[in-house]
Amino acid sequence: MQQYSVGTEKKPVVEKEFLIYRWDPENEDKPKYESYKVDLNSCGPMMLDVLLKIKDEQDSTLALRRSCREGICGSCAMNIDGTNGLACLTRVEKDVSKVSRVAPLPHMFVVKDLVVDMSNFYAQYKSIKPYLRKTTPPEPGKENLQSKEDRAKLDGLYECILCACCSTSCPSYWWASDKYLGPAVLLNAYRWIIDSRDDFTEQRLADLDDQYKLYRCHTINNCTAVCPKHLQPSVAISKIKQLVAAKGEGDVATTA
Amino acid sequence: MGLQRQVLSLYRQALRVSRDKGGEPVARIVRKEFEEFRHVDRKNFSRIEYLLRKGSKQLETLKMSSVKKITTDAS
Repeated sequence: MQQYSVGTEKKPVVEKEFLIYRWDPENEDKPKYESYKVDLNSCGPMMLDVLLKIKDEQDSTLALRRSCREGICGSCAMNIDGTNGLACLTRVEKDVSKVSRVAPLPHMFVVKDLVVDMSNFYAQYKSIKPYLRKTTPPEPGKENLQSKEDRAKLDGLYECILCACCSTSCPSYWWASDKYLGPAVLLNAYRWIIDSRDDFTEQRLADLDDQYKLYRCHTINNCTAVCPKHLQPSVAISKIKQLVAAKGEGDVATTA
Repeated sequence: MGLQRQVLSLYRQALRVSRDKGGEPVARIVRKEFEEFRHVDRKNFSRIEYLLRKGSKQLETLKMSSVKKITTDAS
């Protein structure tokens, strides 16, 4: 039987320093960045690999969310070297002269270390009613039919994994996260607005028509820059603004 | 001052809710939860705000109509 060996030469130890945000609600200390040194040659290439290696070998009290390790669940969203992203998709920079900084998603309440409170985010997502609403049920035995062109309109919208990287990178969302819905939720709102099978389009647009929910977007564009699934919330938001404006004109025309 | 009022308001709300959720034993649990953090420095705003948020969430869970009462191991 063939024996397999993993490499015959020893790899040199390549140590990189990581400064990781730590805060424990149980003790009264202030949050701080703790330093961890990791040998990159005995570790996977992604930031998540590094974090799990630290948790496994150095400090098991490190708290972080993670699940799929392949960029589809959105659990490991965090701020790495100043940019929001998924830890499982962010490659570690090989340059060991640079220190890497890992922090939780910005301007979110921290539960512990890298875990943040997502309740507000989820509540906002719930508020846009992210499900199909119809006035009449489909023909019995038949599905809600949709043409290929109409289905193509949902591309770039349905893939949102609700990781919150975009919303937590938006300064407008930082300053008004209680009232402004944020790019992630607005992208998903648009997904339901332009779904041809949904009958409540006008209602959905009217629900967004206030001072804060939609119009706190000032096209800063951080959202599109950080989306780990390469979606474009800023484009979706401008489309919503156009639709709301058009609806507004329609309303004026009928009342004038 | 605002922070103090928020804490007192949370305390009052919790005691009010405890009346319908098992009465005096629940009120005792509420008081114990608050007593545990009596020592927190009044200047430690971030800690107090964190505890307020935590308490509000716990209160929301308690308020749910499906919750009948809460008990702890009497040890």
